[in-house]
Amino acid sequence: MTEIIVVTSGKGGVGKTTTSASMACGLARRGKRVAVIDFDIGLRNLDLIMGCERRVVYDFVNVINGDCALKQALIKDKRLETLHVLAASQTRDKDALTEDGVRRVLDGLIADAFDYIICDSPAGIEKGAHLAMYFADRAVVVVNPEVSSVRDSDRILGLLASKTHRSVNGNGGVKEHLLLTRYNPRRVANGEMMSVEDVKEILGLDVIGVVPESPDVLSASNAGVPVILSETSDAAAAYEDAVARLLGEELPLRFLEEPKRGFFARMFGG
Amino acid sequence: MTTQRAEAASGPAIDIRFGQVGLIQVLIWTTNPGAILDELTGRVATAPKFFQRTAVSIDLGPLGREPSVEEMQGVLDAVRRAGMCPVGLASGAAVAPALSRPLDLPLLPPFREFQPPAEVGARTRREEPRPEPQPEAGVLAQLHPQPVRSGQRVYARGRDLVVTATVGAGAELIADGCVHVYGALRGRAVAGARGETGARVFCQDFHAELVSIAGVFRVFETLPPDLAGKPVQAWLDGDALRFERLGA
Repeated sequence: MTEIIVVTSGKGGVGKTTTSASMACGLARRGKRVAVIDFDIGLRNLDLIMGCERRVVYDFVNVINGDCALKQALIKDKRLETLHVLAASQTRDKDALTEDGVRRVLDGLIADAFDYIICDSPAGIEKGAHLAMYFADRAVVVVNPEVSSVRDSDRILGLLASKTHRSVNGNGGVKEHLLLTRYNPRRVANGEMMSVEDVKEILGLDVIGVVPESPDVLSASNAGVPVILSETSDAAAAYEDAVARLLGEELPLRFLEEPKRGFFARMFGG
Repeated sequence: MTTQRAEAASGPAIDIRFGQVGLIQVLIWTTNPGAILDELTGRVATAPKFFQRTAVSIDLGPLGREPSVEEMQGVLDAVRRAGMCPVGLASGAAVAPALSRPLDLPLLPPFREFQPPAEVGARTRREEPRPEPQPEAGVLAQLHPQPVRSGQRVYARGRDLVVTATVGAGAELIADGCVHVYGALRGRAVAGARGETGARVFCQDFHAELVSIAGVFRVFETLPPDLAGKPVQAWLDGDALRFERLGA
């Protein structure tokens, strides 16, 4: 049984691609067969975060247009055997995506017995974002603890409830999860940033994970390694927890408090 | 060609519509073709582009008698030679009907009394009181149990709207009756959308951006501290919109 998960947000730059890459890695590390698809046609980024940018020969649009077989376009991850990447086209635009084309690619992946298909949505609410969410069974809505991101997420949740295959056909709708990223407990404590509780209350949804703001995210992205794979990072641990919750485990939220500074750090101002 | 054929196949062959065009009237005091031609050519010469091949109606009213068919053929011939195209006969008197068929020209109403039939028909129809969809006795309120998200709009036609979840900022609730929100109201609430001044807005957790009743509205740039986050009702008191904490 294949599950299609869209990672979306409405607003740009909140961490959709970082989340897609890390969740795909986390699921694959647990032995699941995972395909992660970049729906941001024309602004291909997922391949960079996954570190496979120099191995992209065929892309999503090529498969839709029948230029190549789905198998030829799927890039096998070098670290995790069960993880595959379908890159976006850099030279085309979002009009290259069609509902029928996307359906055929997803059907092909379902026939190939993938456990999870992660759809990395572009920002916005136009065609690319619409098609990324349209066939989803579940949605991970990535939100930063600030007002504009929260409002855009609310908009996206409205579209998930009305403009998806499941909602249109009355199949119980898309299961929605909230994932907070760039969470800074110190700024929350100072009242400069919205808290998890604020966001939960406004959006009326439960939180599947809170990823603390961390310099590891940027360095991992630049290195082409999904941050979940950087062993010592809090962000990695937070993503690992989110993957576990996605699979039904119940874990308490971590990293909501500012880490206590040790004696030496306080003494020497580290 | 293909597209033309496709169009023809998909729709009707013709459409009939009422339209209105300005039509030049040529009023005749005489049936003397020579006199008519002289005067017409003189007039046409002053504005040749305007009169050339222009459609005209021949008004027999000033003539005061019924001309013969032959007389009228002479008149029409003179008008055509002057460069105009007669397209109809106009007369208030009963003289023209007998001429219409032999001259093969339709009868047009005289200019002063001219009223395009489409306009008349449309106006009378518009003046009929439109049946207002009144809320029938016993009509249940429209229930909306899901959250109303930013950008969504829910309309309860001819009845109350009850939302049992949160209403996000940028969402719109519209009802011809009252609006009830058993959750946080962060968006807009419009009650009495068809002018029902007795409609009210109720909510459990007031953070509204805008509240409107029967067209009288108030925007909340900053929320009054005594209302923010409280259960609140709003109603119309004359022309003024009133707000009050519920259960206070």
